[in-house]
Amino acid sequence: MAKYVLSRFFQMGLVFLLFLVLSYILFDAIPGNAFQSLLLNPSLPDYAYDQVVELYGLNEPLLTRIQNYVINFFKGDFGYSYLQFPKTPIDLIAERLPRTLMLFSIVNIFSFYSGFFVGKVLAWRRGSKSETWITITSVFSYTIFYPWFALIMLWFFGLKLNWLPIGKFLYPEKWYDAPFDSDVVFIEMIKYTLYFSLLFFLINIFTRNIESISKRRNIRIIGFASLLVLSIIYWNFGKLEEMKTYAGDIAYHMILPIITVTIVAFAGTALLTRTTMMEVLKEDYILTARAKGISQKRIRDRHAARTALLPVVTSFIFTIVTIIDGAVLTENIFSWPGMGQLILDSVLREDIPVAMASFSFIGITALVAHFIADISYAFLDPRIRIKSQG
Amino acid sequence: MSEVNSLKESRKENFSKNFNRFKQSKIGMTGLVIVVLFGVLALLQPLLFLSGIWDYKTYDPVVGYDAEKYIAEVVVCPDEYPNERYSERKDCPGRNEVTLISVKPYNPGIKEGDTIDRFRQPAEPSGKHILGTDSLGRDVFSQIMEGSQVAFILGLLSATLSVVISTILGSIAAYFGGFIDSYLMRQSDLLLMLPSLPLLFIISAFTELQVWHLALVLGTLGGLGGSVITIKSQALQVKVKPFVDSARITGGSRMNILFSHILPNVAPLALLFMVFGVTGAIASESVLSFLGLLNIDMSWGLMISVSQADGYINQGLTYWWLVIPAGLSVTLLAGGFYLVGRGLDDVFNPRLRKR
Amino acid sequence: MNQNNILEVKKLNMMYNTLEGNVNAVKDVSFEIKKGSSFGLVGESGCGKTSVAMTLMQLQADNAKIISGNIIFDGQEMVGLNEKELRKIRWGGISIVFQGAMNAWNPVIKIGEQIREAIREHYPENTRSENTNKINTLFKMVGLEQNVADRYPHELSGGMKQRAVIALSLSCDPKLIIADEPTTALDVVIQDQILKEIKKVQKDLGLSLIYISHDIAVIAEMTDYMAVMYAGRIVETGKTEDIFKNPKHSYTRMLLDSTPSIIGDKKMLKSLDGEPPSLMDNFSGCSFASRCPNRNTTCHPELDMELVEVGEDHFVDICSAK
Repeated sequence: MAKYVLSRFFQMGLVFLLFLVLSYILFDAIPGNAFQSLLLNPSLPDYAYDQVVELYGLNEPLLTRIQNYVINFFKGDFGYSYLQFPKTPIDLIAERLPRTLMLFSIVNIFSFYSGFFVGKVLAWRRGSKSETWITITSVFSYTIFYPWFALIMLWFFGLKLNWLPIGKFLYPEKWYDAPFDSDVVFIEMIKYTLYFSLLFFLINIFTRNIESISKRRNIRIIGFASLLVLSIIYWNFGKLEEMKTYAGDIAYHMILPIITVTIVAFAGTALLTRTTMMEVLKEDYILTARAKGISQKRIRDRHAARTALLPVVTSFIFTIVTIIDGAVLTENIFSWPGMGQLILDSVLREDIPVAMASFSFIGITALVAHFIADISYAFLDPRIRIKSQG
Repeated sequence: MSEVNSLKESRKENFSKNFNRFKQSKIGMTGLVIVVLFGVLALLQPLLFLSGIWDYKTYDPVVGYDAEKYIAEVVVCPDEYPNERYSERKDCPGRNEVTLISVKPYNPGIKEGDTIDRFRQPAEPSGKHILGTDSLGRDVFSQIMEGSQVAFILGLLSATLSVVISTILGSIAAYFGGFIDSYLMRQSDLLLMLPSLPLLFIISAFTELQVWHLALVLGTLGGLGGSVITIKSQALQVKVKPFVDSARITGGSRMNILFSHILPNVAPLALLFMVFGVTGAIASESVLSFLGLLNIDMSWGLMISVSQADGYINQGLTYWWLVIPAGLSVTLLAGGFYLVGRGLDDVFNPRLRKR
Repeated sequence: MNQNNILEVKKLNMMYNTLEGNVNAVKDVSFEIKKGSSFGLVGESGCGKTSVAMTLMQLQADNAKIISGNIIFDGQEMVGLNEKELRKIRWGGISIVFQGAMNAWNPVIKIGEQIREAIREHYPENTRSENTNKINTLFKMVGLEQNVADRYPHELSGGMKQRAVIALSLSCDPKLIIADEPTTALDVVIQDQILKEIKKVQKDLGLSLIYISHDIAVIAEMTDYMAVMYAGRIVETGKTEDIFKNPKHSYTRMLLDSTPSIIGDKKMLKSLDGEPPSLMDNFSGCSFASRCPNRNTTCHPELDMELVEVGEDHFVDICSAK
């Protein structure tokens, strides 16, 4: 086991190195650089541009630059942003990341649960009338032209009904005399979401062994209700009480993007679950379960869905990687200043240190996610678990 | 000789049997109908031009022009609503009116109450233009058909390329194993790590992306990425089957086994990937042309981009023919291919069939 | 319904609806099973025995339909019951030991939990420890150790899995157990053990047993009564001893003749030419006629068949002419 992890990490390191070099070359291939627009201004002295270029070492040969960058990278030095000097890429990422995480972690949770549920039901109702049209609807939900859909949602809920804000993540007017920075509020919100999800997950785990089904369900409902009560107390305690309204403002701005992205995202999970479940339903142990006299619903949830969970969870982990990719488009349309916008901006305006740092961030996340997916597959499927131990 | 004939016959039989099964799937048939519909649209356009029913000057999707002249009254929109002339803000300027501010820069001497010649663009759907015209006087229906051509060509091209690459690579990885396998898996990892949208941004920044280029890029990127992993696991399942061993024992060369045994068994999955690949390619192209990254004259994504830039989407359903058809087309065609893929699932994967 | 019978099947007809047409898998099947006895169902592959078993528990496939007939279990008519009622009978009244018990287990759930699930369904008031005790008793009965309950299916050998399946089938105190070729995939040594196990359990608990197999030797050993099936029909039924000593139907005779014996002189094994007929047409005449070596001028294969009593409890499927 340890041997596998070691060799895997070694391979990952190698790939990452290649990735760094490849990214740098790609960025270099873009004609021009960040300073041209800033410094080729005729009102500045002639030498301004040349001086800066020399300062940043942009006129050195590509190989030297790559070498320097890689060495510095592994020393932990990521340089300074070209365009937002003196902020370092880390500062910028730290600022933008919570905003994207907040939005997309909620989207992922919602879309996973709803997608899994719909897919489960769809596979079970195979051949019925409702299966056909629900599946077709899910497919079109999956392939809907996202920018178009987002724009229409913006128009409908924002302009026509005037229910939800059309962009950004807060109303600046409300925050003029706020004692908190928006980043701090975001971090608090993320912490809260984490605590809530963790507790909820733990409740589910600890009630797994209760024998009677109805008792189990009741305890879980009580647990959820008490979590809600705890939440209310949590947000009225200490400095969080002052933060409440600001957090509420941010949450209000999150509603429309979350709904829009969830509608598109849930369909993918639903369709995958449906396919996997349909394969599982042909297995003999489903027949055994029916023979035991167990209710249809229980067979669907406890046996079929449980086995179908494996590939769906692994694909889910991969979709987490594509959060930032999807974020680029979403944040663009909804003017949500998160990681997606950061990447877009830095790529378009050739802020190389920031762009490289962001790419590296995504790259590392992708590698780690792939690794976690492989491990979790072993965890969820006891057959593989035993094999690796034996 | 008769053996060869009977082989051909049985293949034909097989095909019609499979097609019958496909027909059973309502989902697959729905998808097929949609795809065929758009295919007809794509083919219809050149036919209409060639047969003379449509003339290029009016109906060309990019450079055509047709706008009806009408006489408009110059008005100034008041600040308060409702008032004696208009009940809501959006009623001003009305259908045959134009605001003073918008015409003054081009007609310095003009004042309120004057009349001016205007051309109606965009125009609503009419007998002459089934889906109306856009802000440049171009026929929208013709644009949709042009977009359909683009979608088909790009979709099929990039999907085919992607599938060919990933199938070959996946089979090789499964069959040879060892170092080749690790290498190919890490290569897929590398591609999975690159965020696709920013990557396409970068590529479009240093090369001019035309449809063919985009097809190549999408195809290669797709082919080298995650699908290799899936094809490999499928090929692995085939590899361990006894008939592969017997093929080896009877002296089949590795290449031979690869092509005549493993590939045909991976083919159904590959076909599925191809169909789903078209879905992805259409979506990617639309997003890219929406963002203005594609050097293309006309496509559905571009139509939406232009409508957005001109502000027509914010007016909701007033200019619905500029907003709905293009977006709907992307959704429907991409979805249609996906439905066909699901229908194919039923045919090839006996475990999914109704018992 | 006779009070001594645990199960009565009367003229059961079942068909599968497939792309190529309708397959009549069960034709006019009738038999009775006395309480506490074991009943064998024998026939070649595809003759319809598994279809009968599935139909008895109303577990037939989605495209299968019962056209006509009655299944009366312990005085209750089963055809036409709603799902809720059926679920009570499944496992609580009739349980089944599947063919290929290897795959009968869900690979990601522990054995003990899967048995518990069945018990919970039929005895929802039981506490956890009551159920644990019950499982331990069951395991002892089939010769398994207690720790098997904590294992996953892939951790057990074929024989252990099979015993566990037997334990599972007993878990809700059924009155009738259907054993569908439970030892086909096992080696002869284990096979012997399992068969003894089943027999012991049946005697100890006073259960009724239906034993389905294509192996006539096993049927001889295990059953008091038996029925021979061919092409969806029952061609002969009666006491096992009677049928072995005095087979009346030509097919039964061929079946017995094709089984080698380890005692007595070595003789040439007789085999049967040809194949069973397609079940697609709804032919109600003598389906064995084309392969029957005893066919003569008195045979009228196109006439309807029916079961005629030829001895005590001994019935043979004969065409209406004779």
